[in-house]
Amino acid sequence: MAKVYKDLREFLEVLESEGQLVRIKSEVDPEPDIGAAGRAAANLKNSPAVLFEKVKGYKYSVVTNVHGSWQNHALMLGMDKNTPTKEQFHELNRRWDKYPVPPNVVVREDAPCKENVIEKDINLFEILPLYRINDQDGGFFISKGAVVSGDPEFPNDFNRMNVGIYRIQVKDKDRVGIQALPFHDIAIQLEKAEAENKPLPIAIAIGNTPLVSFMASTPIGYTQNEYEFVGALQDGVPTDIVKADTCDHLYVPAGSEVILEGYIIPRVRKVEGPFGEFPGSYSGSRLQCEIQITRITHRNNPIFENLYLGIPWTEIDYLMALNTSVPLFKQIKESMPEVVAVNAMYTHGIGVIISTKVRYGGYGKGVAFRLLSTPHGMPYSKVVIVVDEYVDPFNLEQVMWAITTRVHPSKDVSIIENCPGMPLDPSTNPPGMHTKLIIDATTPVPPEPNPRETQLLTPPAGTEKWEEIIKSLWVK
Amino acid sequence: MLCPRCDSEQVRKMVDSPVGHVWEVYVCEKCCYSWRSTEKIEILPKFKLDDEKIAKLGVIPPIPPLKK
Repeated sequence: MAKVYKDLREFLEVLESEGQLVRIKSEVDPEPDIGAAGRAAANLKNSPAVLFEKVKGYKYSVVTNVHGSWQNHALMLGMDKNTPTKEQFHELNRRWDKYPVPPNVVVREDAPCKENVIEKDINLFEILPLYRINDQDGGFFISKGAVVSGDPEFPNDFNRMNVGIYRIQVKDKDRVGIQALPFHDIAIQLEKAEAENKPLPIAIAIGNTPLVSFMASTPIGYTQNEYEFVGALQDGVPTDIVKADTCDHLYVPAGSEVILEGYIIPRVRKVEGPFGEFPGSYSGSRLQCEIQITRITHRNNPIFENLYLGIPWTEIDYLMALNTSVPLFKQIKESMPEVVAVNAMYTHGIGVIISTKVRYGGYGKGVAFRLLSTPHGMPYSKVVIVVDEYVDPFNLEQVMWAITTRVHPSKDVSIIENCPGMPLDPSTNPPGMHTKLIIDATTPVPPEPNPRETQLLTPPAGTEKWEEIIKSLWVK
Repeated sequence: MLCPRCDSEQVRKMVDSPVGHVWEVYVCEKCCYSWRSTEKIEILPKFKLDDEKIAKLGVIPPIPPLKK
């Protein structure tokens, strides 16, 4: 059974013991140090999480880049830290099918997130060392908070409860903004509340066991429960949750560092942003919702876990990499069992590489069409590369080999205009409309003629044995 | 003190540093921009705001009609 983490602290311990966490013991300035360190960590290969023990003017610590490398990502899954990306992808696919694994609801007394309670004189700055992440951001943002909200029409439907990471701008000691984009699940719930001029109760969980953050940033169905997926991805081990204090139908991770409880103020929009977003540029200011925080609960010495975003790749790219790829793979595989793997890691699936067996001539293009009609692929995916089943779509050197030796541009490249698009992709105009690009890098198969048929080079006998021998003798 | 983003005078102190007297955070009541006294604020012209720009900002998500 793979290692499972009850909370962020257990995960940080393992990261540290595996050499994947660095501690900054000297005091840092909130700006620009923490944002700069987030960017710096992302610039390093196989980078560690960075924990700041002392932030000037604040009581508690900050950790960033927790998900920011394939090593950390593998450890999140309880796998060996050097597990290749493709293997992690296949392992996630295997565990995905264990859904649903109902969470374990603990009693309040057993939930570490309830250790301390603040009911009045709410001051976020007392508990969280808030800081500006990128210099043109409109304020201090909480970029990794899992927001829990319920459906006002079906408040007791556990499956309609939503856990999603949405960006949160601190507006005051007890008030924050939230970006609730119309196509996200929280907007469905908010619309129902606002139509009746009612507040929408929410809880924001900060500092979570890593698979909670993973699932909170995964595009799943509205009636699918994120906690039940966490259990599946823990290979069948249920995750622990506890009821929120201010709202009976909301449940938060029992081991979270900090829980902010409150409500979205109905029918109010105030200036929010700018904020540096995942496509590597700032989204400008808009008028967005605000949340009144009425209660904070937190662990002793809470750790503020926050995420850096910048020009890819940064921590957010690792967080969104496989949780975008797996749902797309599952959807395509339903009707096209020949598909071997999907790499949808580039800018949240705007760029995709699919590996497939080519059943008959032209199948590669067909696989691309299927991707472009999935719920996520349709608006997001713009550049789709299809490769043969023996090409690892997570190995870009192999993908470039396939493009350079298997693409005949006059027949293998298709440009399809006037399709749905992703507004945050700055190259789309008007925002929300795209032209799709398909590159079929598969080898021709009948009835497509292949006048230059090749004999691929295969590994000499004993190659696997030699990999083990060299590894065992190799002193690093 | 004026807001560095929209030049409004409606600026107030949001909070003092919880530990020591090492910084304060200010907020503009008009455009919601907030900043710390220890920061060197240089807002790019494209992100500056005024009444006209604020009035034209996109609303996310749209506010639904009230149910009867």
